[in-house]
Amino acid sequence: MGPLADLMQGFADAATPMNLLMCFAGVLLGQIIGVLPGIGPSAAIALLLPLTYGASPTGAIIMFAGLYYGAQYGGTLTSVLINVPGESSSVMTSLDGYKMATQGRGGVALGIAALGSFVAGTFGTLGLMLLAPPLAKVALAFGPPEYCMLVLLGLTALAAVGGSVLKGLAAGVAGLLLGTIGIDPQVGVPRFYFGQSWLLDGVDFIILTVALFGIGEVLASCYLSKADPILNVGRVLPNRQEWGQAWKAVLRGTGIGFFIGVLPAAGATIASFVAYIVEKKVSKDPSRFGKGAIEGVAGPESANNAASAGAMVPMFALGVPGSGTTAVMLGALVMFGLRPGPEMFTTNSSLVWAVIASMYIGNFLLLIMNLPLAGLFARLLQIRYSWIYPPILAICVTGVISHANNVEDAWVMLGFGVVGWLMKRYDWPAAPMVLGLVLGPLFENTLRQSLTLSHGSGMIFLNRPIAAILLVIALLAVLVPPAVEMIRQRRAASVTAS
Amino acid sequence: MHSRVAIGELVLAAFFVALGLLWVGAAIRMPLWEGFAPQSGFMPLWYGVVLIGLTVAVLVNLFVANEGAKAEDPIGKPLLVLAVFAAAIFGLEPMGFGPTVFLMLLFMFALIERLPIIPSVLVAATTTAVLFLIFRTWLKVTLPIGPLGI
Repeated sequence: MGPLADLMQGFADAATPMNLLMCFAGVLLGQIIGVLPGIGPSAAIALLLPLTYGASPTGAIIMFAGLYYGAQYGGTLTSVLINVPGESSSVMTSLDGYKMATQGRGGVALGIAALGSFVAGTFGTLGLMLLAPPLAKVALAFGPPEYCMLVLLGLTALAAVGGSVLKGLAAGVAGLLLGTIGIDPQVGVPRFYFGQSWLLDGVDFIILTVALFGIGEVLASCYLSKADPILNVGRVLPNRQEWGQAWKAVLRGTGIGFFIGVLPAAGATIASFVAYIVEKKVSKDPSRFGKGAIEGVAGPESANNAASAGAMVPMFALGVPGSGTTAVMLGALVMFGLRPGPEMFTTNSSLVWAVIASMYIGNFLLLIMNLPLAGLFARLLQIRYSWIYPPILAICVTGVISHANNVEDAWVMLGFGVVGWLMKRYDWPAAPMVLGLVLGPLFENTLRQSLTLSHGSGMIFLNRPIAAILLVIALLAVLVPPAVEMIRQRRAASVTAS
Repeated sequence: MHSRVAIGELVLAAFFVALGLLWVGAAIRMPLWEGFAPQSGFMPLWYGVVLIGLTVAVLVNLFVANEGAKAEDPIGKPLLVLAVFAAAIFGLEPMGFGPTVFLMLLFMFALIERLPIIPSVLVAATTTAVLFLIFRTWLKVTLPIGPLGI
């Protein structure tokens, strides 16, 4: 079947009443999560995982994907109405969006963000549909050395997304290390279980994810107790002049966002930064930026939504997540017994195409919800975090003990929750740790198989072209960000000195 | 005067170093290599060594950085929340799921956050009931049962 026929089948699967409900629940929750403080899409997916044990994997992944791109819409509300970006990818939106709100045009900023996000999400999904299957086809020829380097690339790329590459790498290796707890998959010998039989199955992905993203996030944010004053929303639909100023920015943001989203070491945040800079560069009057320019909202908002779709390309085609949230989604796929990677398009083709089709539906639902209901969602900003975090903790503990009816798991969650708190507090990224745990067994198996194939020689990773290319990209992902930062600091120092 | 590296970050780094040392110590007692193939201890040994190396590199980076200590978020409230949460986990088996979660929520709303008592009771009871209905009734999950049967 060609992509179009696959997509039609995907629509048929996504349009079942249950999957439509999951899609609606996902985008609605994503919208709410994006607005609420102290909980991001990664944490929300982690909290929802226990609820999806009995659900079909297709429905669950449709809901998680909806939550992911829905959160990008929600993050815009906080950026525009209270000048506090709900997501890091909405930072650039606040520069002009909040100014527009102070000028009484907050509704227009939200309206153009919703329209731009819809266009970007739709075209981004089209790009995902066209790019992921051929990429997966190429990757089907991969053997153990290529898979091993692919996992390495995924880990290094995700580590490079955060502020400190070293901290990201340390977190990733800590995840790999935790992944060795339990039975050695190759020879069946128990390792690192410290005499505790409940550790023989290893540290569960759900426990670590809920701990790092749920408990860690709550402990890092629970001192926030005041609700922020919000500005009036007003008219939502942009007028002809505003649309005339914004439509090119929407298209440029879509292209930039999708391209950056596909790159493993980038994400929605970088996409929105680049889109803003491009808009300012191409503008006839750059001085309008930072003072309420509608292009300053349209470009970054389109970019961050297109990047969400773009980030799904490496996740579905290669099993390499492009962002922290897709890392958690990847873990969810593993939890459902699926093997993320190129085989997904052949062995679980109906799931992948149903998710892709659901993204068209979800983006449409978000547009319908956002234009008339922007004011209603804005009211969520008035809920104090004091009312939010205790129920989050209750969901965390219920979800974890329900997983294996084991209270010991709750203690493990508490311990890693403290680690997650400290990581959040001191800017150590948590997503690489989760990804390390999820991909650890695959990494170890493929590395050991590769070394066995090569009679113990590590040269196998350099002698095979694709493996060598992936290794070089992985090294670049680690080395380029610090090098760029060093150059930036030197330039800043020389400017200060002069 | 603030120290350049926060104590909390040192604790986190110490945890990672300890984890690395534990893994190295246990891995060297396992078979590392046999014939052409790496064995059970090979990867854990390397993970441990690399984790220690990276964490030390992070620490060196923090100590040599020219930045002063950042203003830190308050620590008292998170510790109090953590203590209540730990007490709730401790109480799950003897008291049962329902009463423990309800009391944990009520304690956090009314005593830690000083929110009005009636809304606190209502939100705590509703949250507990919703969780009970979803997990116990809908998903048929076995949750700890206490003397009250919930």
